[in-house]
Amino acid sequence: MRAALEKLGAVVLGWLEHTGRTFNLLLLVTVELLQPPYRFYPVVRQMYFIGARSLTLIVVSGLTIGMVLGLQFYNILQRFGSVDLLGAGVSLSVIRELGPVMTALMVVGRAGSSITAELGIMRITEQIDAMDCMAISPSKYLIGPKLLAGLLSVPLLTMVFDFVALFGGYFVGVVMFGVAEGSYVNGMIDTVEWSDVRIGLEKSLIFGLLVTLICCAEGFYMHLTKAGSQGAEGVSSVTTDAVVLSSIAVLYSDFLIEALF
Amino acid sequence: MECNLKSGAGYDLLELSGEVDLQYSPQLREKILGSLRSGAPLLIDLGRVSYIDSSGIASLVEGFQAAKSAKLPYGLLNISSTALQVLTLTRLDKIFNLYTDAAHFEAQL
Amino acid sequence: MTSVAGTAASPAISIRNLFVDYFPRRILTDVNLDIPASQITVIMGQSGAGKTTLLRCMLGLKKPSSGSVHILGTDIVRASRRELNAVRKQMGVAFQGGALFSSMSVAENIQLALREHTSLDEKTIQIMTRIKLDMVNMLAAENLMPSELSGGMTKRAALARAIVMDPKLLFFDEPSAGLDPSTAAELDQLMITLKTTLRMTIIVVTHELDSIFKIADHIAVMANGRVIEFGTPQQIIASANPEIQGMLNRKPRENIVDTDAHLRRLVGG
Repeated sequence: MRAALEKLGAVVLGWLEHTGRTFNLLLLVTVELLQPPYRFYPVVRQMYFIGARSLTLIVVSGLTIGMVLGLQFYNILQRFGSVDLLGAGVSLSVIRELGPVMTALMVVGRAGSSITAELGIMRITEQIDAMDCMAISPSKYLIGPKLLAGLLSVPLLTMVFDFVALFGGYFVGVVMFGVAEGSYVNGMIDTVEWSDVRIGLEKSLIFGLLVTLICCAEGFYMHLTKAGSQGAEGVSSVTTDAVVLSSIAVLYSDFLIEALF
Repeated sequence: MECNLKSGAGYDLLELSGEVDLQYSPQLREKILGSLRSGAPLLIDLGRVSYIDSSGIASLVEGFQAAKSAKLPYGLLNISSTALQVLTLTRLDKIFNLYTDAAHFEAQL
Repeated sequence: MTSVAGTAASPAISIRNLFVDYFPRRILTDVNLDIPASQITVIMGQSGAGKTTLLRCMLGLKKPSSGSVHILGTDIVRASRRELNAVRKQMGVAFQGGALFSSMSVAENIQLALREHTSLDEKTIQIMTRIKLDMVNMLAAENLMPSELSGGMTKRAALARAIVMDPKLLFFDEPSAGLDPSTAAELDQLMITLKTTLRMTIIVVTHELDSIFKIADHIAVMANGRVIEFGTPQQIIASANPEIQGMLNRKPRENIVDTDAHLRRLVGG
């Protein structure tokens, strides 16, 4: 009994330490980024990496999800004879909910995992120590640009996702099933309010930060975990952890935001 | 570091003293290249240099290259033994024209 | 008793009462060491003796549980980030595996510190890079990526990167590990040259006996988390400490006397 309690305590403490470390990193990097010199080129490079290279994936998945939504809503709404609401249904669910969440999850898979692997490898091959010994802050130099790029790219990608998904819904509804174009577009314009767009945007900002932060912290602090001494195997295990943790963080914070606002 | 550029006698004499390090070598570089741009031969007196690091050496090398392409005589005067060792380490002692007396440099003009 | 190993003249690094605990194990126990300036000091010992931990304490990468590490007059255990970085700009480190930044070419690796810390002209940076590459005989590898380098080239590139800022202190972790004898000898010679011409203080961590006695002015022998002996190579060779003698004369494996016993060891039962 006591052993079990101790084990539970250790798990909880470990989890708290983990979370604390992650948010401590955010604090540290924020403070460091506020101090000169300011560099923009690395941020652009990371935006290319996180943003531009995820674009195809985002367009493809956005289109597919928009079309699936169009189909689903059409089938349901048809039973109640209210296919006029198709535009409203698709746009509300995409802009408020699916756009930010799906984009963030795609970024986790595409860019987040490689961020963790990259930092993890740099950690175990002493590249981060080497940078530290050169009096260059690894958190500022390596993580700062990634965080900023995540914060900027994910909302932009979300906008692309939203746009493409709405088009997918439009394609299924208007082109395939012959819903009146006017009712689709007007339904969209009438139902979606500025607050929906704003919440969608805010969510994508928060997700972008969370995803990059968690993925950076998992790789950067790899040496503090059990995986730190396991070499390449350790890198693969922290990468998996990072993907799982950041996906859960996205979904859970999505729920929190919906519940609170 | 202090550097003092004297013109006259048909060439420029750049007198250096103190420590030539990362902080001061940009200044040294400017002086050397500036002098060479004016088209005068350049003799650099290193007699009172207590320390020269690789950024200082790099500036001397760059000056040498610039002098060579402008076909201007370029020499180092009174190089200290420690500075010479650094040049030897980087195999540059064979490249530079080293003088112990300004008269020898003048004789070659 | 606090006996301090080292020489009297003002040391480049002075370590006092250093303890490192990695709960529940004690890695370093009461390490006291003075590393003399402008000389080569080798820290030797078998794997697990605490060499790497001691090195990491000197680099400010590991906070000790207690004790002090003064480098060029600054106690880096208690120094602020800014003070620590000021000391670090005077130190160069060549890590065991090279630790070259894999996303940058050899030249970019060498130039990073110059670009971050100085306002030198691009041309000067380029010439400096080539001077350092020439010193380690790597001029041809300037534009290669770290993944394209052999083990020996990686070590040499790491050394070029470590000395690019003309540091007062150079740390070298396992310089000859995994190198062929001629490359190892080349690196040994280069360290001696750096010491004599640039008056660099060089700290080498290694367990390779061959190069130790070629390069060392002083040797600190570590075992079980303690510095058990410090002295010139002659003093170390003459040491009466059986542990040191054991390290110096690696005994050949005992002859098999009892064949049955040996068979049982291999087969079991």
